[in-house]
Amino acid sequence: MEQWLEWARGPAFKFAFVLMVLGLIRHLVLTVAGIVQALYRAGDKKIPYKMVFHSTLLWLFPFKKLNNRPWYSIASVVFHVGLILTPIFLLPHIELWKRGLGISWPSIPHLLADILTLITIAAAIGLLAGRLGNRESRRISRAQDILLPVIIAIPFVTGFLAMHSVWDPTAYNAVMFIHVMGANVIFALIPFTKLGHIVLLPTTQLVSEVGWHFPAESGRDVTIALKKENVPI
Amino acid sequence: MRKYPYYVEPYEETERPRKFLEAFAAILKHSNYGFVLDTYTRTSTKCARCAGICQVFDQSGDPRDVPCYRSELLFRVYRRYFTLGGMVRSRLHNGFMLTDDYIDEMAEAVYRCTACRRCKFACPMGVDHGLMTHLARWILAEIGVVPKALVVATREQLQGKTGNTSAIPVVALKDTCEFLEEELIENYNLPAKFPMDVEGAEHVFFPAVSDYLLEPDTLMGNAAVMHLTGGSWTIGTGYYDGINYGLFYSDALLCRIVSKEAAELKRLKAKKILIGECGHASRSAKAFIPTFCGGKNAPPVINIMEYSHKALLDGRLKVKAGAISERVTYHDPCNIARSKWIINQPREILEAICKDFVDMVPSGQMNICCGGGGGTVSIDEIRAFRTGIGGRKKAEQLKATGAKYIVAPCANCKKQLREVCEDNGLHDMEVVGLHDLVLKALDLEAYGITPVDKTGKEGEE
Repeated sequence: MEQWLEWARGPAFKFAFVLMVLGLIRHLVLTVAGIVQALYRAGDKKIPYKMVFHSTLLWLFPFKKLNNRPWYSIASVVFHVGLILTPIFLLPHIELWKRGLGISWPSIPHLLADILTLITIAAAIGLLAGRLGNRESRRISRAQDILLPVIIAIPFVTGFLAMHSVWDPTAYNAVMFIHVMGANVIFALIPFTKLGHIVLLPTTQLVSEVGWHFPAESGRDVTIALKKENVPI
Repeated sequence: MRKYPYYVEPYEETERPRKFLEAFAAILKHSNYGFVLDTYTRTSTKCARCAGICQVFDQSGDPRDVPCYRSELLFRVYRRYFTLGGMVRSRLHNGFMLTDDYIDEMAEAVYRCTACRRCKFACPMGVDHGLMTHLARWILAEIGVVPKALVVATREQLQGKTGNTSAIPVVALKDTCEFLEEELIENYNLPAKFPMDVEGAEHVFFPAVSDYLLEPDTLMGNAAVMHLTGGSWTIGTGYYDGINYGLFYSDALLCRIVSKEAAELKRLKAKKILIGECGHASRSAKAFIPTFCGGKNAPPVINIMEYSHKALLDGRLKVKAGAISERVTYHDPCNIARSKWIINQPREILEAICKDFVDMVPSGQMNICCGGGGGTVSIDEIRAFRTGIGGRKKAEQLKATGAKYIVAPCANCKKQLREVCEDNGLHDMEVVGLHDLVLKALDLEAYGITPVDKTGKEGEE
């Protein structure tokens, strides 16, 4: 088991993490290139950047936007806070980084980490319940929408168990193996699922705004491409 | 599921999916939608928060009306046929395939939407479902799936003899304007003119052309304000229609129609485009004349309400405070309010002339659509849907205000709201334009005009 755990923490983690970073860089580069190309082609290049920036901030910190489906929205915000803070500022994780790359940063107390972990798990369950309990969102959900909260909850549950229960070493290693592999699977899935919003969310408001700025010749070009120049309306 | 009949122009039934994909491919190649679809398909999270804000879904409860579901109809086609992942996946297992039925479903979904764009404010991922509906409608239009009412109007506007959507010939236009001038003299002692083809005027006026048939009071109000404030304006007999259904179903036509406005402006050597009381006419000119007619060098576009508001502020427009004693409410047309362009200007005018002005909740940028947006108001076949489902929420809002006058500065909204009032039992309400009320509230004495004694006149009749 120990070798398996070492493999999960070593090569598997490196592979998943690098895959995530490269995938996210690709997402970001493609989106920024798309925006630049669209602006270059647009007939009207004037963008209300201030308004776009404002609405981007509003959605990055969506505390004013909780009014619609409030319980679901609050669960989502809590989920994100736990999801971002806990893994990054947990002491054992920072020690791993220190051992591997020699970098470190301040950690949060264990008790806080425990509380965050529990509320993240609760929020994941809440999100799932909100999705499946609501007729519209159940109807439009895809497989990934239902599976992702479950997969994301796995490292949190196993991490909590590993920190708190008295296990014999084999069982502890097994739990840790699930914990690490769960995280690896999440990293690897990020570029291929909606989790890509990790880097794309700050761009979407601008994308939507630029999307309305059409190329001056778009209509004519499409008409010509479809050979409809002389076709009456 | 119940389908509403859209009377569509005849099209070849065969090979529609192939043609749809060809049109989609051409549009992706020559326009800017590709990267938008890429970003949206990568981030769309299917949380259904947009369902809670959509007035159509609110009343119908039909999953087809969830904005995200509607956009997904397009995303699915995009993923399958235009992304690498989709193509690989289709080789691995029998996945999604574009069929005739699917196209029908999409057509139904995008024309149930009123394109009011309110759902944009509910999407945590910033997906603009209005933009996706706009795109889907264009692709469908290229394979001939468009409500007939819209095509017939646009055909007359671009290919017909009269060159406008209501098929009003120049002779009839001049007749109408002369008649309105006489009315202004008779009823208000106001020698206001509708100047025709004045070269070098500052503004060229493009109302929704249907106003010449249906809204004499609005037009008289426009002329009176222009006359009393010394505004330099003209109506071009070469082209005098602000309506632009291209905004609702095709960028290609949107471009051709706004270009006609810019060309008329150039012919008359005028400086600004002045749009009458009409939401989509205003937005299509304001947002897309810069796009299609020269970017930075495009002529400025203003709405008549902006003009009157400015005249009121700098004192050129003199009105009697509290001249309208009945309760008045204001309906924001989505196309001018959603972008925060015109929200406060008409309210300030109304507050100056009304004793009892009440706002609806919500209003302004977050207003509720009349239920006939996105061109659907022209489709008479779906009136029951428009007033029963699309406009029900608006009817409740209107009822709550208890107003006598509903000011709706938009030709589409006016028609729709009248039908909404009729079908929802709000018979005491009257839908009017902003300038209808301004005309009644003009302080004519301040301009040295003796008003006509109306009480005596009514007695004669």
